[in-house]
Amino acid sequence: MIDTFALALTHGLILLMAWRLLSRVDLDDDGGKPRQTFASDEADPGA
Amino acid sequence: MRDLGLLAFIAAFAALGLKRPFLWVLLYAYIDIIAPQRLGFSFLAGIPNLSLIAAALAIGGWALTDAGKGFSVSTRQLLMLALLAYAGITTINSDVPLDAWAKWDWAWKAVFFAIFLPFALRTKLRIEAYLLTMLLCAAALIISGGIKTALGGGGYGSLVLLLDDNSGLYEGSTISTVAIAIIPLVLWFAKHGTIFPADWRVRAFCYALCLACLLIPVGTQTRTGLLCIAALFVLMLRDSKHRLLYLAGAGFLALAAVPFLPQSYTSRMTTIQSYEGDQSASTRLAVWGWTLEYVKGRPFGGGFESYKQNQIQVSTVSQQGSGAVQSVSASTTQDAGRAWHSAYFEMLGEQGFPGLALWLLIHAVGLVRMERLRRRYRADEERPWIAPLATALQHFQLIYLVGALFIAVAFQPFVWMILGVQVAFDRWVAAGEKSKRAPSFSASAAPVGA
Repeated sequence: MIDTFALALTHGLILLMAWRLLSRVDLDDDGGKPRQTFASDEADPGA
Repeated sequence: MRDLGLLAFIAAFAALGLKRPFLWVLLYAYIDIIAPQRLGFSFLAGIPNLSLIAAALAIGGWALTDAGKGFSVSTRQLLMLALLAYAGITTINSDVPLDAWAKWDWAWKAVFFAIFLPFALRTKLRIEAYLLTMLLCAAALIISGGIKTALGGGGYGSLVLLLDDNSGLYEGSTISTVAIAIIPLVLWFAKHGTIFPADWRVRAFCYALCLACLLIPVGTQTRTGLLCIAALFVLMLRDSKHRLLYLAGAGFLALAAVPFLPQSYTSRMTTIQSYEGDQSASTRLAVWGWTLEYVKGRPFGGGFESYKQNQIQVSTVSQQGSGAVQSVSASTTQDAGRAWHSAYFEMLGEQGFPGLALWLLIHAVGLVRMERLRRRYRADEERPWIAPLATALQHFQLIYLVGALFIAVAFQPFVWMILGVQVAFDRWVAAGEKSKRAPSFSASAAPVGA
Protein backbone atom coordinates (compact mmCIF):
# COMPACT_ATOMS: atom_id res chain seq x y z
CA MET A 1 0.00 0.00 0.00
CA ILE A 2 2.71 2.46 1.06
CA ASP A 3 4.96 1.22 -1.74
CA THR A 4 2.18 1.67 -4.28
CA PHE A 5 1.59 5.21 -3.06
CA ALA A 6 5.30 6.09 -3.26
CA LEU A 7 5.59 4.55 -6.73
CA ALA A 8 2.42 6.18 -8.06
CA LEU A 9 3.34 9.61 -6.72
CA THR A 10 6.91 9.66 -8.03
CA HIS A 11 6.10 8.02 -11.35
CA GLY A 12 3.24 10.44 -11.85
CA LEU A 13 5.56 13.37 -11.22
CA ILE A 14 8.21 11.99 -13.58
CA LEU A 15 5.60 11.64 -16.34
CA LEU A 16 4.28 15.14 -15.67
CA MET A 17 7.87 16.41 -15.89
CA ALA A 18 8.36 14.63 -19.23
CA TRP A 19 5.07 16.08 -20.50
CA ARG A 20 6.10 19.61 -19.52
CA LEU A 21 9.50 19.17 -21.15
CA LEU A 22 7.84 18.44 -24.51
CA SER A 23 6.70 22.03 -24.87
CA ARG A 24 9.92 23.65 -23.66
CA VAL A 25 12.00 24.94 -26.56
CA ASP A 26 14.96 25.58 -24.28
CA LEU A 27 15.35 21.82 -23.76
CA ASP A 28 17.44 21.54 -26.91
CA ASP A 29 18.64 25.09 -27.25
CA ASP A 30 19.34 27.54 -24.42
CA GLY A 31 18.55 30.46 -26.69
CA GLY A 32 15.10 29.06 -27.44
CA LYS A 33 13.46 31.16 -24.76
CA PRO A 34 14.00 34.67 -23.45
CA ARG A 35 16.92 34.79 -21.05
CA GLN A 36 14.97 35.90 -18.02
CA THR A 37 12.97 32.67 -18.09
CA PHE A 38 15.77 30.84 -16.40
CA ALA A 39 17.12 33.84 -14.54
CA SER A 40 14.71 33.62 -11.65
CA ASP A 41 11.43 32.06 -10.63
CA GLU A 42 9.35 35.22 -10.58
CA ALA A 43 10.17 35.92 -14.17
CA ASP A 44 8.78 32.59 -15.40
CA PRO A 45 5.55 33.25 -17.26
CA GLY A 46 4.54 29.61 -16.76
CA ALA A 47 4.64 29.96 -12.97
CA MET B 1 -0.87 -5.01 -11.61
CA ARG B 2 2.33 -3.29 -10.60
CA ASP B 3 4.07 -4.85 -13.60
CA LEU B 4 1.43 -3.43 -15.91
CA GLY B 5 1.71 0.01 -14.35
CA LEU B 6 5.49 0.08 -14.60
CA LEU B 7 5.42 -1.23 -18.15
CA ALA B 8 2.84 1.38 -19.16
CA PHE B 9 5.01 4.05 -17.56
CA ILE B 10 8.13 2.93 -19.42
CA ALA B 11 6.20 2.66 -22.71
CA ALA B 12 4.71 6.14 -22.27
CA PHE B 13 8.08 7.62 -21.43
CA ALA B 14 9.76 5.92 -24.39
CA ALA B 15 6.96 7.15 -26.68
CA LEU B 16 7.37 10.76 -25.50
CA GLY B 17 11.05 10.32 -26.36
CA LEU B 18 10.08 9.99 -30.01
CA LYS B 19 9.27 13.69 -29.92
CA ARG B 20 12.18 14.68 -27.71
CA PRO B 21 14.94 12.03 -27.88
CA PHE B 22 16.63 13.58 -24.86
CA LEU B 23 13.91 11.99 -22.73
CA TRP B 24 15.55 8.63 -23.42
CA VAL B 25 18.59 9.80 -21.46
CA LEU B 26 16.22 10.41 -18.55
CA LEU B 27 14.63 7.00 -19.12
CA TYR B 28 18.02 5.35 -18.76
CA ALA B 29 18.63 7.20 -15.48
CA TYR B 30 15.22 6.01 -14.26
CA ILE B 31 15.88 2.38 -15.15
CA ASP B 32 19.37 2.45 -13.68
CA ILE B 33 18.27 3.93 -10.35
CA ILE B 34 14.89 2.31 -9.77
CA ALA B 35 15.59 -1.00 -11.55
CA PRO B 36 11.88 -1.52 -12.41
CA GLN B 37 12.64 -4.98 -13.78
CA ARG B 38 13.41 -6.02 -10.21
CA LEU B 39 10.32 -4.28 -8.82
CA GLY B 40 8.04 -6.20 -11.15
CA PHE B 41 6.61 -9.50 -10.02
CA SER B 42 6.19 -11.39 -13.26
CA PHE B 43 6.81 -10.55 -16.87
CA LEU B 44 8.75 -7.35 -16.24
CA ALA B 45 11.42 -9.39 -14.49
CA GLY B 46 11.72 -11.42 -17.65
CA ILE B 47 13.18 -8.49 -19.59
CA PRO B 48 16.83 -8.81 -18.59
CA ASN B 49 18.10 -6.24 -21.02
CA LEU B 50 15.80 -3.39 -20.10
CA SER B 51 18.78 -1.34 -19.00
CA LEU B 52 20.65 -2.16 -22.20
CA ILE B 53 17.66 -1.18 -24.36
CA ALA B 54 17.38 2.14 -22.53
CA ALA B 55 21.12 2.77 -22.88
CA ALA B 56 20.91 2.08 -26.62
CA LEU B 57 17.96 4.49 -26.92
CA ALA B 58 19.73 7.18 -24.88
CA ILE B 59 23.00 7.02 -26.76
CA GLY B 60 21.32 6.39 -30.13
CA GLY B 61 18.96 9.33 -29.65
CA TRP B 62 21.85 11.54 -28.72
CA ALA B 63 23.93 10.39 -31.68
CA LEU B 64 21.07 11.12 -34.11
CA THR B 65 20.11 14.55 -32.81
CA ASP B 66 22.90 16.00 -30.70
CA ALA B 67 26.24 14.54 -31.72
CA GLY B 68 28.55 17.23 -32.91
CA LYS B 69 26.84 20.03 -30.97
CA GLY B 70 29.24 21.21 -28.32
CA PHE B 71 31.33 18.05 -28.38
CA SER B 72 34.35 18.84 -26.26
CA VAL B 73 36.02 16.65 -23.68
CA SER B 74 36.79 17.93 -20.20
CA THR B 75 39.72 16.94 -17.99
CA ARG B 76 37.46 15.08 -15.63
CA GLN B 77 35.99 12.99 -18.43
CA LEU B 78 39.54 12.02 -19.39
CA LEU B 79 40.31 11.12 -15.78
CA MET B 80 37.16 8.98 -15.67
CA LEU B 81 38.17 7.31 -18.92
CA ALA B 82 41.62 6.61 -17.48
CA LEU B 83 40.06 5.07 -14.36
CA LEU B 84 37.72 2.98 -16.49
CA ALA B 85 40.62 1.66 -18.59
CA TYR B 86 42.68 1.02 -15.49
CA ALA B 87 39.82 -0.87 -13.81
CA GLY B 88 39.53 -2.93 -17.00
CA ILE B 89 43.17 -3.96 -16.69
CA THR B 90 42.87 -4.85 -12.98
CA THR B 91 39.77 -6.89 -13.82
CA ILE B 92 41.70 -8.89 -16.41
CA ASN B 93 44.49 -9.52 -13.90
CA SER B 94 42.12 -10.10 -11.00
CA ASP B 95 42.80 -12.50 -8.13
CA VAL B 96 39.15 -13.52 -8.08
CA PRO B 97 38.15 -13.33 -11.76
CA LEU B 98 34.58 -14.61 -11.47
CA ASP B 99 33.58 -12.05 -8.85
CA ALA B 100 35.61 -9.33 -10.50
CA TRP B 101 33.85 -9.70 -13.85
CA ALA B 102 30.49 -9.70 -12.10
CA LYS B 103 31.22 -6.30 -10.55
CA TRP B 104 32.84 -5.00 -13.74
CA ASP B 105 29.54 -5.77 -15.51
CA TRP B 106 27.74 -2.95 -13.70
CA ALA B 107 30.61 -0.74 -12.55
CA TRP B 108 31.85 0.06 -16.04
CA LYS B 109 28.38 1.23 -17.06
CA ALA B 110 28.29 3.69 -14.15
CA VAL B 111 31.61 5.28 -15.13
CA PHE B 112 30.90 5.14 -18.85
CA PHE B 113 27.54 6.87 -18.42
CA ALA B 114 29.15 9.59 -16.31
CA ILE B 115 31.59 10.21 -19.17
CA PHE B 116 28.71 10.30 -21.67
CA LEU B 117 26.36 12.54 -19.64
CA PRO B 118 28.11 15.90 -20.19
CA PHE B 119 27.71 15.45 -23.95
CA ALA B 120 23.96 15.04 -23.59
CA LEU B 121 23.36 17.69 -20.90
CA ARG B 122 24.01 20.65 -23.18
CA THR B 123 21.39 23.07 -21.91
CA LYS B 124 20.41 24.42 -18.53
CA LEU B 125 16.99 22.81 -18.78
CA ARG B 126 18.50 19.41 -19.53
CA ILE B 127 20.71 19.64 -16.45
CA GLU B 128 17.67 20.55 -14.36
CA ALA B 129 15.55 17.77 -15.89
CA TYR B 130 18.23 15.17 -15.30
CA LEU B 131 18.68 16.15 -11.67
CA LEU B 132 14.92 16.19 -11.17
CA THR B 133 14.64 12.69 -12.61
CA MET B 134 17.39 11.43 -10.30
CA LEU B 135 15.72 13.01 -7.26
CA LEU B 136 12.25 11.70 -8.11
CA CYS B 137 13.65 8.18 -8.62
CA ALA B 138 15.42 8.28 -5.27
CA ALA B 139 12.23 9.78 -3.82
CA ALA B 140 10.32 6.61 -4.72
CA LEU B 141 12.47 4.67 -2.26
CA ILE B 142 12.75 7.48 0.25
CA ILE B 143 9.03 8.27 0.45
CA SER B 144 8.25 4.60 0.93
CA GLY B 145 10.97 4.24 3.61
CA GLY B 146 10.09 7.54 5.25
CA ILE B 147 6.41 6.69 5.69
CA LYS B 148 7.23 3.21 7.01
CA THR B 149 9.65 4.69 9.51
CA ALA B 150 7.15 7.33 10.61
CA LEU B 151 4.59 4.57 11.16
CA GLY B 152 7.01 2.76 13.41
CA GLY B 153 8.56 0.26 11.04
CA GLY B 154 12.20 -0.27 10.28
CA GLY B 155 15.26 -1.54 12.06
CA TYR B 156 18.84 -2.28 11.05
CA GLY B 157 18.72 -4.35 7.89
CA SER B 158 14.95 -4.79 8.12
CA LEU B 159 13.44 -1.65 6.60
CA VAL B 160 12.21 -2.84 3.23
CA LEU B 161 12.27 -0.13 0.56
CA LEU B 162 10.00 -1.21 -2.28
CA LEU B 163 11.80 -4.54 -2.58
CA ASP B 164 13.73 -6.83 -0.27
CA ASP B 165 17.09 -6.44 -1.88
CA ASN B 166 20.51 -5.35 -0.74
CA SER B 167 22.01 -3.98 -3.91
CA GLY B 168 22.38 -0.54 -5.42
CA LEU B 169 20.38 2.17 -3.69
CA TYR B 170 18.25 -0.46 -1.98
CA GLU B 171 21.03 -1.20 0.53
CA GLY B 172 20.42 0.46 3.93
CA SER B 173 23.66 2.41 4.44
CA THR B 174 23.79 3.48 0.80
CA ILE B 175 20.25 4.86 0.74
CA SER B 176 20.92 6.60 4.08
CA THR B 177 23.93 8.37 2.61
CA VAL B 178 22.22 9.25 -0.66
CA ALA B 179 19.02 10.38 1.10
CA ILE B 180 20.95 12.85 3.23
CA ALA B 181 23.25 13.92 0.40
CA ILE B 182 20.35 14.88 -1.90
CA ILE B 183 18.75 17.20 0.67
CA PRO B 184 20.70 20.28 -0.56
CA LEU B 185 19.57 19.48 -4.12
CA VAL B 186 15.94 19.07 -3.06
CA LEU B 187 16.14 22.45 -1.34
CA TRP B 188 17.54 23.95 -4.54
CA PHE B 189 14.47 22.70 -6.42
CA ALA B 190 12.23 24.23 -3.77
CA LYS B 191 13.52 27.62 -4.84
CA HIS B 192 14.99 27.56 -8.33
CA GLY B 193 13.17 24.86 -10.30
CA THR B 194 11.61 25.87 -13.62
CA ILE B 195 9.98 22.58 -14.68
CA PHE B 196 7.93 22.69 -11.51
CA PRO B 197 8.23 26.41 -10.67
CA ALA B 198 8.43 26.97 -6.94
CA ASP B 199 4.93 27.52 -5.61
CA TRP B 200 3.45 26.31 -2.33
CA ARG B 201 2.80 22.79 -3.68
CA VAL B 202 6.39 22.36 -4.87
CA ARG B 203 7.75 23.71 -1.61
CA ALA B 204 5.45 21.47 0.44
CA PHE B 205 6.57 18.42 -1.54
CA CYS B 206 10.25 19.35 -1.21
CA TYR B 207 10.07 19.91 2.54
CA ALA B 208 8.12 16.70 3.05
CA LEU B 209 10.72 14.88 0.97
CA CYS B 210 13.53 16.36 3.10
CA LEU B 211 11.76 15.07 6.21
CA ALA B 212 11.47 11.62 4.62
CA CYS B 213 15.18 11.81 3.74
CA LEU B 214 16.03 12.54 7.38
CA LEU B 215 13.88 9.61 8.48
CA ILE B 216 15.76 7.11 6.30
CA PRO B 217 18.84 6.86 8.57
CA VAL B 218 16.44 6.43 11.49
CA GLY B 219 14.49 3.70 9.73
CA THR B 220 17.55 1.83 8.48
CA GLN B 221 19.35 2.48 11.79
CA THR B 222 22.66 3.01 10.09
CA ARG B 223 25.39 4.82 11.96
CA THR B 224 26.78 6.04 8.65
CA GLY B 225 23.51 7.91 8.13
CA LEU B 226 23.90 9.73 11.43
CA LEU B 227 27.40 10.84 10.44
CA CYS B 228 26.00 12.10 7.14
CA ILE B 229 23.35 14.11 8.99
CA ALA B 230 26.15 15.65 11.07
CA ALA B 231 28.04 16.49 7.86
CA LEU B 232 24.90 18.04 6.36
CA PHE B 233 24.44 20.13 9.50
CA VAL B 234 27.99 21.50 9.33
CA LEU B 235 27.74 22.22 5.59
CA MET B 236 24.45 24.05 5.93
CA LEU B 237 25.89 26.04 8.78
CA ARG B 238 28.73 27.07 6.50
CA ASP B 239 26.23 28.27 3.91
CA SER B 240 23.78 29.87 6.30
CA LYS B 241 23.38 33.62 6.43
CA HIS B 242 22.06 33.72 9.99
CA ARG B 243 24.36 31.27 11.70
CA LEU B 244 23.25 31.85 15.27
CA LEU B 245 19.61 31.49 14.34
CA TYR B 246 20.43 28.33 12.38
CA LEU B 247 22.41 26.85 15.28
CA ALA B 248 19.61 27.55 17.73
CA GLY B 249 16.93 26.21 15.38
CA ALA B 250 18.86 23.04 14.49
CA GLY B 251 19.71 22.42 18.15
CA PHE B 252 16.08 22.80 19.14
CA LEU B 253 14.91 20.47 16.35
CA ALA B 254 17.51 17.83 17.29
CA LEU B 255 16.48 17.93 20.95
CA ALA B 256 12.80 17.84 20.04
CA ALA B 257 13.38 14.83 17.78
CA VAL B 258 15.11 12.66 20.42
CA PRO B 259 11.92 11.59 22.28
CA PHE B 260 10.45 10.43 18.97
CA LEU B 261 13.40 8.25 18.07
CA PRO B 262 12.86 4.54 18.67
CA GLN B 263 14.80 3.02 21.56
CA SER B 264 16.54 0.55 19.26
CA TYR B 265 17.85 3.48 17.23
CA THR B 266 19.33 5.45 20.13
CA SER B 267 20.93 2.34 21.61
CA ARG B 268 22.51 1.44 18.29
CA MET B 269 23.80 4.98 17.79
CA THR B 270 25.52 4.99 21.18
CA THR B 271 27.69 2.11 19.97
CA ILE B 272 29.54 4.65 17.82
CA GLN B 273 31.52 5.58 20.93
CA SER B 274 32.16 2.01 22.12
CA TYR B 275 33.19 0.57 18.79
CA GLU B 276 35.57 -1.91 20.49
CA GLY B 277 32.65 -3.94 21.77
CA ASP B 278 30.95 -4.04 18.41
CA GLN B 279 31.83 -6.75 15.97
CA SER B 280 30.69 -4.93 12.84
CA ALA B 281 32.93 -1.96 13.64
CA SER B 282 35.85 -4.17 14.68
CA THR B 283 35.51 -6.11 11.45
CA ARG B 284 35.97 -2.89 9.53
CA LEU B 285 39.21 -2.10 11.32
CA ALA B 286 40.43 -5.64 10.71
CA VAL B 287 39.55 -5.51 7.00
CA TRP B 288 41.24 -2.14 6.59
CA GLY B 289 44.37 -3.48 8.30
CA TRP B 290 44.30 -6.45 5.95
CA THR B 291 43.94 -4.13 2.93
CA LEU B 292 46.99 -2.11 3.91
CA GLU B 293 49.02 -5.32 4.13
CA TYR B 294 47.52 -6.63 0.89
CA VAL B 295 48.50 -3.61 -1.21
CA LYS B 296 52.09 -3.91 -0.05
CA GLY B 297 52.20 -7.05 -2.18
CA ARG B 298 49.85 -5.74 -4.87
CA PRO B 299 50.35 -1.98 -5.09
CA PHE B 300 48.49 -1.87 -8.42
CA GLY B 301 45.37 -3.46 -6.96
CA GLY B 302 43.89 -6.92 -6.92
CA GLY B 303 40.88 -6.13 -9.08
CA PHE B 304 37.20 -5.90 -8.17
CA GLU B 305 36.03 -7.85 -5.12
CA SER B 306 39.57 -8.87 -4.14
CA TYR B 307 38.47 -8.64 -0.49
CA LYS B 308 37.03 -12.12 -0.97
CA GLN B 309 40.51 -13.50 -0.24
CA ASN B 310 40.83 -11.98 3.20
CA GLN B 311 41.01 -14.01 6.38
CA ILE B 312 40.88 -11.87 9.44
CA GLN B 313 40.75 -12.12 13.18
CA VAL B 314 38.26 -9.86 14.87
CA SER B 315 38.80 -9.01 18.52
CA THR B 316 35.99 -7.46 20.51
CA VAL B 317 36.28 -6.12 24.03
CA SER B 318 33.14 -5.51 26.02
CA GLN B 319 32.75 -4.00 29.43
CA GLN B 320 29.90 -4.76 31.76
CA GLY B 321 28.83 -3.43 35.12
CA SER B 322 29.47 -0.02 36.59
CA GLY B 323 31.40 1.64 39.38
CA ALA B 324 34.28 -0.20 41.02
CA VAL B 325 33.29 -3.64 39.83
CA GLN B 326 33.45 -4.05 36.09
CA SER B 327 33.91 -7.18 34.11
CA VAL B 328 35.81 -6.97 30.88
CA SER B 329 35.43 -9.79 28.41
CA ALA B 330 37.49 -10.14 25.29
CA SER B 331 36.75 -12.50 22.48
CA THR B 332 38.34 -13.26 19.16
CA THR B 333 36.49 -14.58 16.14
CA GLN B 334 37.77 -15.74 12.80
CA ASP B 335 36.27 -14.30 9.67
CA ALA B 336 36.88 -14.54 5.98
CA GLY B 337 35.85 -12.73 2.82
CA ARG B 338 34.64 -9.63 4.65
CA ALA B 339 33.69 -6.69 2.43
CA TRP B 340 35.64 -3.41 2.31
CA HIS B 341 33.22 -1.32 4.38
CA SER B 342 34.80 1.83 2.95
CA ALA B 343 35.02 3.27 -0.55
CA TYR B 344 38.57 4.49 0.10
CA PHE B 345 39.80 1.01 1.04
CA GLU B 346 37.68 -0.43 -1.76
CA MET B 347 39.58 1.70 -4.28
CA LEU B 348 42.93 0.97 -2.64
CA GLY B 349 42.42 -2.78 -2.47
CA GLU B 350 40.76 -3.17 -5.86
CA GLN B 351 42.53 -0.57 -7.98
CA GLY B 352 45.71 -0.06 -5.98
CA PHE B 353 47.44 3.26 -5.43
CA PRO B 354 46.98 4.54 -9.01
CA GLY B 355 43.25 3.77 -8.94
CA LEU B 356 42.76 5.39 -5.55
CA ALA B 357 44.72 8.44 -6.70
CA LEU B 358 42.60 8.77 -9.85
CA TRP B 359 39.36 8.37 -7.92
CA LEU B 360 40.42 10.95 -5.33
CA LEU B 361 41.52 13.31 -8.09
CA ILE B 362 38.15 13.01 -9.88
CA HIS B 363 36.39 13.95 -6.64
CA ALA B 364 38.88 16.67 -5.70
CA VAL B 365 38.57 18.39 -9.07
CA GLY B 366 34.78 18.31 -8.68
CA LEU B 367 34.91 19.90 -5.25
CA VAL B 368 37.28 22.62 -6.43
CA ARG B 369 35.29 23.38 -9.59
CA MET B 370 32.02 23.67 -7.66
CA GLU B 371 33.72 25.90 -5.08
CA ARG B 372 34.90 28.14 -7.89
CA LEU B 373 31.37 28.50 -9.31
CA ARG B 374 29.98 29.00 -5.83
CA ARG B 375 32.25 31.96 -5.15
CA ARG B 376 32.18 33.47 -8.59
CA TYR B 377 28.40 33.58 -8.93
CA ARG B 378 27.48 34.28 -5.33
CA ALA B 379 26.44 37.82 -6.14
CA ASP B 380 25.16 37.18 -9.66
CA GLU B 381 21.73 38.74 -9.81
CA GLU B 382 21.09 37.79 -13.38
CA ARG B 383 21.39 34.06 -12.73
CA PRO B 384 20.93 33.62 -9.00
CA TRP B 385 20.50 29.86 -9.32
CA ILE B 386 24.08 29.09 -10.36
CA ALA B 387 25.87 29.53 -7.02
CA PRO B 388 23.23 27.59 -5.03
CA LEU B 389 23.33 24.72 -7.55
CA ALA B 390 27.14 24.58 -7.35
CA THR B 391 26.82 24.54 -3.55
CA ALA B 392 24.18 21.80 -3.59
CA LEU B 393 26.23 19.62 -5.96
CA GLN B 394 29.33 20.16 -3.85
CA HIS B 395 27.47 19.36 -0.64
CA PHE B 396 26.09 16.19 -2.19
CA GLN B 397 29.63 15.13 -2.94
CA LEU B 398 31.00 16.05 0.50
CA ILE B 399 28.25 14.17 2.34
CA TYR B 400 28.84 11.20 0.05
CA LEU B 401 32.57 11.32 0.78
CA VAL B 402 31.80 11.21 4.51
CA GLY B 403 29.41 8.27 4.10
CA ALA B 404 31.95 6.57 1.83
CA LEU B 405 34.36 6.37 4.77
CA PHE B 406 32.28 3.48 6.07
CA ILE B 407 30.57 1.94 3.05
CA ALA B 408 32.05 0.57 -0.15
CA VAL B 409 30.24 2.77 -2.64
CA ALA B 410 33.09 3.92 -4.87
CA PHE B 411 31.21 2.79 -7.99
CA GLN B 412 27.67 3.68 -6.91
CA PRO B 413 25.99 4.69 -10.22
CA PHE B 414 23.90 7.45 -8.59
CA VAL B 415 27.07 9.21 -7.46
CA TRP B 416 28.75 8.85 -10.84
CA MET B 417 25.68 10.43 -12.41
CA ILE B 418 26.06 13.43 -10.11
CA LEU B 419 29.72 13.68 -11.16
CA GLY B 420 28.57 13.70 -14.79
CA VAL B 421 26.04 16.44 -14.01
CA GLN B 422 28.77 18.48 -12.30
CA VAL B 423 30.94 18.32 -15.41
CA ALA B 424 28.00 19.29 -17.62
CA PHE B 425 27.01 22.19 -15.35
CA ASP B 426 30.59 23.44 -15.11
CA ARG B 427 30.90 23.35 -18.88
CA TRP B 428 27.54 25.05 -19.41
CA VAL B 429 28.59 27.97 -17.21
CA ALA B 430 31.98 28.17 -18.89
CA ALA B 431 30.31 28.27 -22.32
CA GLY B 432 28.13 31.15 -21.10
CA GLU B 433 31.20 33.05 -19.92
CA LYS B 434 32.86 32.49 -23.25
CA SER B 435 29.92 33.73 -25.28
CA LYS B 436 29.68 36.79 -23.04
CA ARG B 437 33.29 37.65 -23.73
CA ALA B 438 32.94 37.06 -27.45
CA PRO B 439 31.94 40.08 -29.54
CA SER B 440 28.80 38.41 -30.92
CA PHE B 441 26.33 36.70 -28.62
CA SER B 442 25.88 33.53 -30.63
CA ALA B 443 27.86 31.90 -33.36
CA SER B 444 24.99 32.08 -35.81
CA ALA B 445 24.53 35.84 -35.44
CA ALA B 446 26.33 38.15 -37.79
CA PRO B 447 29.64 39.37 -36.37
CA VAL B 448 29.32 42.76 -34.74
CA GLY B 449 31.88 45.37 -35.59
CA ALA B 450 35.36 44.30 -36.60
